[in-house]
Amino acid sequence: MQIDYAAVAPELVLTGALCIVLVVDLVLPDNRKGLIMPVSLLGVAGTLLALLALAGDPTRTTLGGMFVVDSFAVTLKILFCVAALLTLAMSYDYLRKEGIHQGEFYFLLLCSLLGMLTIASSRDLLPIFVSLELVSVPAFVLAGLQKIDVKSNEAALKFFLFSILSTAVMLFGMSLIYGITGTTNLAEIAVRLAATPVLRSIAVLSVFFVVVGFGFKISAFPFQWWVPDTYEGSPVPVAAFLSVASKTAGFVGLLQIMFIAFHGLADVWRPFIAAVAILTMTFGNLVALTQRHIVRLLAYSSIGQAGYILLPLAVVNVNGGSVNHEAFAASIAYLLIYAFMEMGAFSVAVAYGREGGYFIDDYAGLGYRAPGLAVVMTVFLFSLAGIPPLAGWAAKLFIFRAVIDGHEYWLAVAMAVNTVIALFYYAKVVRRMFFEPAGDGPLGVKVPLLLQATIAVSTVMVLLVGILPDLAAHLARMSTLV
Amino acid sequence: MPKGYFGEYLTLAFFAGMMLLLVAGTLGLNKLVSPKVHRDEKYLTYECGVDPVGGGWSQTQIRYYLFGLLFVVFDVEAVFLFPWAVVFDKLGTAAFVEMVIFIGILALGLAYAWRKKVLEWL
Amino acid sequence: MDFLAHWGLTLSVFLPIVGAALIAFTPKEQEKTIKFLSLAFTFLPLVVGVLLLRVYHIGMTGMQLETNRSWIPSIGARYHVGIDGISLPLLELTLLVTFLCAIYSLKWLPEPHNPKGFLALMLLLETGMAGTFIALDLVLFFIFWELVLVPMYFMIGLWGGPRREYAAIKFFLYTLFGSVFMLLGFLALYFRASPHTFDVLQLQRIGPSLPSGIQNLIFLGMGIGFAIKVPMWPFHTWLPDAHTEAPTVGSVLLAAILLKMGTYGFLRISIPIMPHAARTYAPLIGALAVIAIVYAALNCLAQTDLKRLIAFSSVGHMGFVMLGIATLTQIGVNAAVFGMVAHGVITGMLFFIAGSIHERYHTREIPQLGGMALRLPILGGLLAFTAIASLGLPGLAGFWGEVLALLSSYNPLSALSSHTFRVYMVAGGIGTVLTAGYLLWMIQRVNLGKVPAQWEGKKLVDVQPLEMVAWAPLLLLTLGLGLFPRLIFDVTTHSVIGLTKLLGG
Repeated sequence: MQIDYAAVAPELVLTGALCIVLVVDLVLPDNRKGLIMPVSLLGVAGTLLALLALAGDPTRTTLGGMFVVDSFAVTLKILFCVAALLTLAMSYDYLRKEGIHQGEFYFLLLCSLLGMLTIASSRDLLPIFVSLELVSVPAFVLAGLQKIDVKSNEAALKFFLFSILSTAVMLFGMSLIYGITGTTNLAEIAVRLAATPVLRSIAVLSVFFVVVGFGFKISAFPFQWWVPDTYEGSPVPVAAFLSVASKTAGFVGLLQIMFIAFHGLADVWRPFIAAVAILTMTFGNLVALTQRHIVRLLAYSSIGQAGYILLPLAVVNVNGGSVNHEAFAASIAYLLIYAFMEMGAFSVAVAYGREGGYFIDDYAGLGYRAPGLAVVMTVFLFSLAGIPPLAGWAAKLFIFRAVIDGHEYWLAVAMAVNTVIALFYYAKVVRRMFFEPAGDGPLGVKVPLLLQATIAVSTVMVLLVGILPDLAAHLARMSTLV
Repeated sequence: MPKGYFGEYLTLAFFAGMMLLLVAGTLGLNKLVSPKVHRDEKYLTYECGVDPVGGGWSQTQIRYYLFGLLFVVFDVEAVFLFPWAVVFDKLGTAAFVEMVIFIGILALGLAYAWRKKVLEWL
Repeated sequence: MDFLAHWGLTLSVFLPIVGAALIAFTPKEQEKTIKFLSLAFTFLPLVVGVLLLRVYHIGMTGMQLETNRSWIPSIGARYHVGIDGISLPLLELTLLVTFLCAIYSLKWLPEPHNPKGFLALMLLLETGMAGTFIALDLVLFFIFWELVLVPMYFMIGLWGGPRREYAAIKFFLYTLFGSVFMLLGFLALYFRASPHTFDVLQLQRIGPSLPSGIQNLIFLGMGIGFAIKVPMWPFHTWLPDAHTEAPTVGSVLLAAILLKMGTYGFLRISIPIMPHAARTYAPLIGALAVIAIVYAALNCLAQTDLKRLIAFSSVGHMGFVMLGIATLTQIGVNAAVFGMVAHGVITGMLFFIAGSIHERYHTREIPQLGGMALRLPILGGLLAFTAIASLGLPGLAGFWGEVLALLSSYNPLSALSSHTFRVYMVAGGIGTVLTAGYLLWMIQRVNLGKVPAQWEGKKLVDVQPLEMVAWAPLLLLTLGLGLFPRLIFDVTTHSVIGLTKLLGG
């Protein structure tokens, strides 16, 4: 079997970088461990370059059709790399101040990234499963990296147990699929499912299991219980990475399977997905209203956001599939935009948290003590709430568009109501920051240079895409699989 | 097979029902038909027929766990090595390089364990 | 001139946001620079706005000074702006009132003192407000519409009265609730139209042929958004709180311009695109409008807070505007546009005066004022003048909007039941009497009578020159529009005729 090395070049570069990071960690004395960070940064940057070299090429298929590099894969891999870069920049000072093992942190982060890269190219159940595990297993350790912190231990353990359970359920579903179709290739599954209507009921069963499995990864209701505790207990940059990159990886797998392999059964799973999406956003937004910890607030808000991203799946194959393309693009566009606003909000939480604390009460009067930080936090929160002309607005518009195109008006109304509920808790933080007197928190927060860069990049992207939504929309439409 | 829209979901309900029935059934059946003879020996910790020493809860050195992990890694490596070795002459140099890389990565893991003093026994 | 015709509108709308950006990068300590910037970047758009009058052809129907550029091709939204006789007066009003607010803010800034934040937000607000009146693309319209929310939220929440946080979030949530439904309406319209488009002018051609059931549904969705903004009874409850708590400039802008966005939405989008639905809902809109008129007047009689009284009076006046719109006739819609401008001028002025009274007495409780005409003759005189204009005295601006709205409801569009609308007319007439009642009673309690003991011996300063500069244009307009209503009607009539033609009038 011939391997197309150009197609797997980004993964190879990253694997090389991984090994180098590990070696560097082994030879460096304890007081020089900070040097691992630039090495990792270079590794990811190299991966990004290899990806950019692939951008625009015609589709490449290798490893017997299991590994495909098309615009979908390239776009999402770039997104993953950017998210990893932002996380790296966000972590550097955080790790040093919190005294977390730096070598292991960067190594594990890159391992998880490798899994994300491969999942975007996987068009087969087996590599999807393996990639998903490669994403998750390092993440368990990352969540528990603050070894002496009981909450961090709890975070890792909860994450581990829930994830293992979901993996088992998903694997059971996949095995059923293999049992009735005799293949693990996604496209082939669709063909054989259509050809064997007798076993449709078992196919439905397996779709259900696979969705449940992915439901844990993307934190959909009712599989989201681990999310708030894990995010809160983990080191904050890890929480950011989980809520952006790891969640996106879950969506990438889910979208591929639903759109390629299971779209023939869409009539059956569409209402189920619709119900899950609406419940997810409603639960996330309602519980977020009562949160007092900023990371928990962002965790619940990310559950709400997952509901929005899931919603376009509820219009797959209506009108004979005429909206599939738009629906797929809407989810992708939302993921692209979501990454920057969520990363931005987490960066501000990291920047302020060390000196000021992580409770929303600690943010009281921030607008008077650190106006710059307060203003960018407002930008990210209002973007998450979907206020124009910030990027989050465009993301929501794409979802609304797809859903209304599919004539699912009630879903659109449910999401609209959710948007209003969500505004309330985002505005609550903004209110604390600006409408309350300065309080006794630190005056003029010092933000490390790398963190400033993370915040700046996120802010620019949120504003730019907000004013020119076509940047995201065009990319997303190019990067669909249908 | 049940037809129609709700029919599809009926399968799911049927599956869930069967699952519950199976668990409840086997447990219940066991309860019903199994002979129950209470003897002190039955409540002892099983240790190959020898009388147990100490309590049921005992601590194990955590290092066993790390050794176990390392053992599994190299055990699985062997699984890949044997079939590779059998057809080695047909594969050519590319396969050789690939296997060297594979072993290299594993060796890196071993080096990591060694540097982190996992291999030392106290 | 060619440049002006193509880019004048864009310039007038986006200059303020440039000013806001400049202010954001000016150090907080340089207050003079900041105030100068705010003045310059509200004055320049006004200059552009006045120059636009020279290239605008008053006698023409349809859109003028259009710019139509590609913006978000992948969802079919374009940067399409333009004005006609309905939007022109509102655009000019926006540019003028914001400039006057900037003048007023040179000296009177609300506490806590932070001119940088306040003026930057005011400029941002201007872009949102002015943009709403020129947007001819639904997505663009939506962006401008929402752009208004955040600055106003901060204005009320940061510089407002004691219950400011409650009022701010109430304003924000109410409006957002309305606008998401509006957005859903826009999207539904987009997908129902063939070819799919967000362009208002194209939709005006396509929309009327949509099935009536769809029209009714979409009209309802959008209507919620517009009705909350107007605000129509029973969606008005955010308004008294927002107005009462907002700082003076915030109240002025809210009353003079923000409320008009809702009525403008009906005139520009809902009614011309969905005439069938407009005819279906007209009796309902008329009924709600009349309820608002009477309800607001009764409420005003019970108010003791001067600002709250003016706020409720706004609900009533916007009721007259909506009544005029609901008749769907040429006279009614003309009266509505006139009423919008007149209400903007008069109520804006009233809020200025209320702010100045608060500045001097540190209270707005009517029973604590009394005898103001003795202590502050000029301020008292202006209050009496503006309040009388507000109650619709012939010869002043408030008269034409109200009387023509009532007149038009005697003879509404032939498709509508004239009996129903005549009942509305009678009820609205009663409302006018009540309006006169509470305003005159307010003047009596504030201006006349004895000066309460607590103000004896206290030094109270009468109207200052800067206040006079900021107010003079509004006072002149109140008188000018009252004496020469053709100033507005000449501009609006042709466009209104175009609009009512679509309705079969």
